[in-house]
Amino acid sequence: MFSFIVRRILWTIPVILIVSSITFLLMHSVPGSPFTRERALPPAIQKNLEAKYHLNDPLWKQYIDYMYGFVRLDFGPSIAYRSRTVNDILAQQWPVTATLGGVAFLFAVCIGIPLGVLSAVKQNTLIDNGSMVAAMLGVSIPAIALGPFLIWIFALKLKWFPVATWGSPAHVVLPALTLSTAYLSRFARITRASMLQVVREEYILAARAKGLREIVVNLRHAFRNALIPVTTIAGPAFADIVTGSLVVEQIFAIPGIGKYYVQSIGNRDYPVIMATTLLFALIIVVMNLLVDISYAMLDPRIRYS
Amino acid sequence: MKRLWLLALAVALVAGVCAVGQAKTLYWNLATEPPSLDPSLATDTTSHQVLKQLFVSLCQFDDATMDVLPDLAKTWEFDATTNTWTFHLRNDVYWTDRNWTLSGLPVTAEDVEFGIKRLLAPETASEYAYVMYLIKGAEAYNTGAGTADDVGVKAIDKYTVAITLNFPAGYFPGMAALWLCAPLPKVAIEKYGDKWTEAQNIVTNGPYVLGEWVHEDHLILKKNVAYYDRNNVKIDEVYCYMVNEQSTAMAMYEAGKLDVNDNPPLEDMDRIKTDPVLSKELAQAPRLCTYRYGLNSSKPPLDNINVRKALASSVDRQSLIDNVLKGNQLPAQTWTCPGMFGYVDGVALGIGYPFDPEQARKYLADAGYPGGAGFPEVTIMVNTSQGHQKIAEFVAKGWQDVLGIKVNITNQEWGVYLNTCSVDAPQVFRMGWCADYPDGNNFMNDVFHSGSGNNYEKYNNPAYDALVEKAAVSTDPAERRDLYKQAEILICETDVAFIPIYFYTYNQLTKPYVVRTFASIGGQTWKDWDILDH
Repeated sequence: MFSFIVRRILWTIPVILIVSSITFLLMHSVPGSPFTRERALPPAIQKNLEAKYHLNDPLWKQYIDYMYGFVRLDFGPSIAYRSRTVNDILAQQWPVTATLGGVAFLFAVCIGIPLGVLSAVKQNTLIDNGSMVAAMLGVSIPAIALGPFLIWIFALKLKWFPVATWGSPAHVVLPALTLSTAYLSRFARITRASMLQVVREEYILAARAKGLREIVVNLRHAFRNALIPVTTIAGPAFADIVTGSLVVEQIFAIPGIGKYYVQSIGNRDYPVIMATTLLFALIIVVMNLLVDISYAMLDPRIRYS
Repeated sequence: MKRLWLLALAVALVAGVCAVGQAKTLYWNLATEPPSLDPSLATDTTSHQVLKQLFVSLCQFDDATMDVLPDLAKTWEFDATTNTWTFHLRNDVYWTDRNWTLSGLPVTAEDVEFGIKRLLAPETASEYAYVMYLIKGAEAYNTGAGTADDVGVKAIDKYTVAITLNFPAGYFPGMAALWLCAPLPKVAIEKYGDKWTEAQNIVTNGPYVLGEWVHEDHLILKKNVAYYDRNNVKIDEVYCYMVNEQSTAMAMYEAGKLDVNDNPPLEDMDRIKTDPVLSKELAQAPRLCTYRYGLNSSKPPLDNINVRKALASSVDRQSLIDNVLKGNQLPAQTWTCPGMFGYVDGVALGIGYPFDPEQARKYLADAGYPGGAGFPEVTIMVNTSQGHQKIAEFVAKGWQDVLGIKVNITNQEWGVYLNTCSVDAPQVFRMGWCADYPDGNNFMNDVFHSGSGNNYEKYNNPAYDALVEKAAVSTDPAERRDLYKQAEILICETDVAFIPIYFYTYNQLTKPYVVRTFASIGGQTWKDWDILDH
């Protein structure tokens, strides 16, 4: 197990190298530069800007300089936010997004999974049908509609939570709920399907035959095995949640990093594009690793050698 | 002097403490994080909104009349023999940080010289350095061909600065009101480098100081008790949110969290106009920007002047404004917008092409396409945006209905779009332009001179160039007005280089207890505002 983890961690190095090279080449091959403006800049001004950000160096040198900075964890200056470095942006904006994403993920897991179990146990009852209809709605309603709707009810009408912005635990609730709904619903549906499949297995029949109480059968025997498919989607879902918060951050005016994923590309803010893409890649790699490890813990038959 | 200053500070602090019970706070939405609070580097309206509160410039604009008023400079005069403007500065303007630790450090002519030369230094890599190329030696220094010592900006004594130009630009005091001519705090810049604009480092001299700046979340401006006109600054604190989503800002305004909403969502405009409360809080003010459809007259069939006239005559601007834009914009038939020196009221004077379907069909027939028969497809390209797309669809529908021609609409991502427009502009493409300074030179010369990088139409008419060049150096306002009028007729009517669509307006919701002014050129003047008891 230990050598498996070490090997997987070492594998991230070529993955990051490949992702960074592709990103670097792609962003430099798209038309436009960080200094493309509706109000065209005179060539002399462009030259000064390119010299300042070393964009007049040959591409290979820019890449090597970038990667040299990267291994020293120096991601360079932001070109669009001229008084800030990418390190500043990551240090100030990423924790906000991680908090929002973390809470949303907890909502999704802590509400979605029990809801799925309950539906499966009470299959074809009002509880089951009701929660599955709600789950269907949850998957279907986009954040851009749900967010303003939640603001209208809980902030403007009931005044339970602030309309928007960031700063206290109360500020986290509505955006985290908005962000989590789609995943919460997905967790509920997959948990339910997986539970229904597992309860038909022979070992559940055996457990019942032993005379175990229904709750023990469901939780100790069925639920644990039903978790494997849920875990499979949990990894990518976490990565999606913490990197896909752009819309929610926009609606609730949250100072997260979400907008940098999108804006940096429009601005051709090369150092920010590189950093956010690599951050995204790193999260995916780490989450997949955690999923693999948790398989082994959930199912003793799965062992890595 | 220093003692006097300390006394003033002490009095102001005591007054501030006494008045703490009724401290006035304005809640404003910046909509986005200011990209830079460095006057040499800022290029956008959000940064400028904040900079205007933090730094004084040599001059300032009157919000209502756009006249140039004194600010740091009390008076100025022009010497025609040397093309030199001499500015005489106030001696009661001081540098300050948010903790008031710089007691009595005066703002001097040397700070102005330092500020302008820093803007021009190639290593600063300022995007707007070129705006000051009219200063003698500025271009050479900025392009590495000259030195800072050769730049025509000199501190004559502690409170007098002389700026020598390449030509006698009559509009220079207006340019001296830009943040580009602001004096800068050498000590802070040298001590903190790129980080000098952070709240804990920044040193400023305007009506407000930067009390706090939490990136992407909010910033707080606090009244500068050392500001020279502090007795007339009524609002003690401005709390700036950075809410980008229009519907959220609207909800915050309605929940009383914002005192002003300067960009209400288009979808809410009908509701706002009919709501008994909101409709009273809505004000519309001109904004110095023009929206246009550029025409590439080197591409057939647009190389035919009558085709361009036909297209220009079949855009129903008023209907576009009423049904699509809904912000009470003004239909434009000329280029320079109202509020600018050199504006010509094309609609009233009959310059340019109003919506006239019959005349449009006649132009098209004259071009050889009666009823649109045989007319090749025309493509409108816009940068990807719902708003621009809606406008394009409206214009395309008008052309199809009036002229019977087929129109395609395509869109490209912003960076790609600008590249396309400068390398190989499509037949019809949308562009906008906003004033840097309120003079026709900024619209007529800076955009459509044949040598301008903003001239995506590649418009090239020596007669036009001669007119705007003459207007740039003339010091006679009546003559300049006439030259700009001739230039408007030439570009919008005779040559139809592009189709002016509309002049922008600001739609602003303001709570009734806010006493305010409306600035049409970037940046509201909060020092002149007040908040009544409510």
